[in-house]
Amino acid sequence: MENGITVNTNIMLKKFIFISFITAIFTVPSYTQFGDELRIGGYARNYTGVLTSEGGELSILQNTLNINLSKRGDNIAFRVNPYFYQYFDNEPEIGLREAYLDIYFDNIDLRVGRQQIIWGKADGVFITDVVSPKDMREFLLPDFEEIRMGVTSVKANYYFGMNTVEAVWAPVFTATKMPGEGSIWRPEMDFPVPPQFDHSLSDVKPSVENSEIFLRYSLMSPSADLEFVGGYFWYDDPALHMERELDPATGNITGLTVSPQYHRVSMAGGSFSKPVGRFVLRGEGGYYSGRYFQTTDPAVPDAVVKKNYLHYMAGIDFTIGGVNLSSQFIQEYILDYDAHIQNDEFETTMTFMANKDFFREKLRLELFAYTGFNNEDALIRPKITWDFADAFEVLGGANIFIGEEGRFGQYSDNDMVYIKLKYSF
Amino acid sequence: MKTNNLNAGNTNCKDAGLAYAEPGVINKIFLLATLMFSLGLLSSQNALAQRIGQEIMEKVYHNPSGDDMQGDLTMTLINRQGERRVRELRQYIKDDGEVEKRIMFFLSPADVKGTSFMNWSYTDGSDDDQWIYLPALKRIRRISSDGKSDYFMGSDFTYDDLGERHPDEDNHELTGEETIDGRECWVVESTPKESDYMYSKTVTWVMKDNLLGLKREFYDERGRHLKTLQIKDYDQIDGFWTILETEMKNVQREHTTNMKFTNISINQGLADRMFTERSMMQGI
Repeated sequence: MENGITVNTNIMLKKFIFISFITAIFTVPSYTQFGDELRIGGYARNYTGVLTSEGGELSILQNTLNINLSKRGDNIAFRVNPYFYQYFDNEPEIGLREAYLDIYFDNIDLRVGRQQIIWGKADGVFITDVVSPKDMREFLLPDFEEIRMGVTSVKANYYFGMNTVEAVWAPVFTATKMPGEGSIWRPEMDFPVPPQFDHSLSDVKPSVENSEIFLRYSLMSPSADLEFVGGYFWYDDPALHMERELDPATGNITGLTVSPQYHRVSMAGGSFSKPVGRFVLRGEGGYYSGRYFQTTDPAVPDAVVKKNYLHYMAGIDFTIGGVNLSSQFIQEYILDYDAHIQNDEFETTMTFMANKDFFREKLRLELFAYTGFNNEDALIRPKITWDFADAFEVLGGANIFIGEEGRFGQYSDNDMVYIKLKYSF
Repeated sequence: MKTNNLNAGNTNCKDAGLAYAEPGVINKIFLLATLMFSLGLLSSQNALAQRIGQEIMEKVYHNPSGDDMQGDLTMTLINRQGERRVRELRQYIKDDGEVEKRIMFFLSPADVKGTSFMNWSYTDGSDDDQWIYLPALKRIRRISSDGKSDYFMGSDFTYDDLGERHPDEDNHELTGEETIDGRECWVVESTPKESDYMYSKTVTWVMKDNLLGLKREFYDERGRHLKTLQIKDYDQIDGFWTILETEMKNVQREHTTNMKFTNISINQGLADRMFTERSMMQGI
């Protein structure tokens, strides 16, 4: 069984991580010192959003304190990034986005602990960016720094020339954080009858057997930047295995038990960015072997099928008259498709970005939009940022959802305007 | 004191040897010949001025500045009301004769702290390569070097102003000599060969004794005076003449940027590994 683990292996694993950590610390050259002073930075922010639907209901009122603590010596460093969210309608939340120790050798860096690891060249979409799990409790609206969660792992980077080889071992699986019951960001799920949820198989217990591995090679060169990646890991979103109860007389479904389960997947891919005259061309693609999809095929008893899947992007960045412009064409393709699969065989999305600075970078206008071609839906995000004083900014914006269904259209009742006041220190 | 020595010596044309012609015609021919001769002289004078101007700017470009340099930069932006905004960064530069690699680590204000920017520029005139690392995104992004006319961090310096412009990109002409604050300077006017360059011309005052540019005026595309760059302080560091403080004033917008360089060291054997993905992401 994929999720199986015994208590003994759990203890062994903890011992292994502890021994690795201690060994790493004691293999640091003896002259290592935390010579630098403790650095403290971060930001305090107020974020207030109002739904534009009638009544102007508050969609979010969040106060945030985000702190970065770091200290660095010649061969060793650490960083801790605690955060605190206070809401008007929810319990306060406190957590650690990152907490890690760095050890630097001549050509190798070792990072141990909870860390954000970001891969790929795409903006606003996750193609080969598979290491750090995502916090989707507010869909794609938070800053990407807040969407990507830290992953507890050991990361080793080996450098030669302009090349980097990176290996990541993550013994603890972290799933995508989904919006809770009653959240306006909870994705639409159509069930023929109200389901019962069974989470007994949703756990992936930390173990060597259940650990994830990732590998990356990257090159920065004058002609192009390249990245090749691979991984054997748990897909961050659960497959919803279903058990139907049928009325023997009519054949109608009378009961439904939904069992969210996580599955292993292998991924191989790469990305590039290349300057061509005044343009920068970007591309990224990932091949996933063994991803699960929901199906309505009556011959499939638990309503999920395993398929291979491609996800790719082509993008271009350029500047006209001081306006930075960017566009991406993104496509998802399910191989060996059958018509009962709930997702489309091809799903096409485009993104557009435009921004321009005014008044010596004190004012910035920006527009970012996702457009879904399958459901003719979109998310349009205009925003204006005013650097009122150094390190203090006021940001006003809107999130406009177009369409009735699809990835963005399903939130058509959630159009909102918002303001963020942020002080960095 | 202004001693323009390029306008003398063009009146030496009385005997043109045209005795058989009618006096009126002779006068006309004489005038024409005088004019042509003068134009010829002028032309040769101009060619000489251009050649000297080119030589001076090449000497400025090749003025020894060390193979590598590192130091802190404090940039103060001052608007017409006298309000000040301060940006601090640390930069490392290495030049192997073919590629000049530069990496900047932003230290303040707090909202840009941790950002790093790397530029590779090539002596063969190829487009620069540029990368930026934004700590919030934890990713290095390749950017187009097309934005050389963009202003750096809201200052009065464009990205192009910060780099060394190769002398072959402009036509140069020595237009005179001047003494500024007791320093004897050549005055060289440079006009770009490229038709759509952001400046229609620049005028540079080059100190004769150390070949440092003491002052430079920038003229916009319509030929109007746009900015003046002045060197406020310079010294010999590790044996090389080095600019320590400079000020760029935009006379059209009444905005000034002061740049101060501190903790400078030169030729310390900066390793190539400073200009890599590792360095950009680790910061300083």
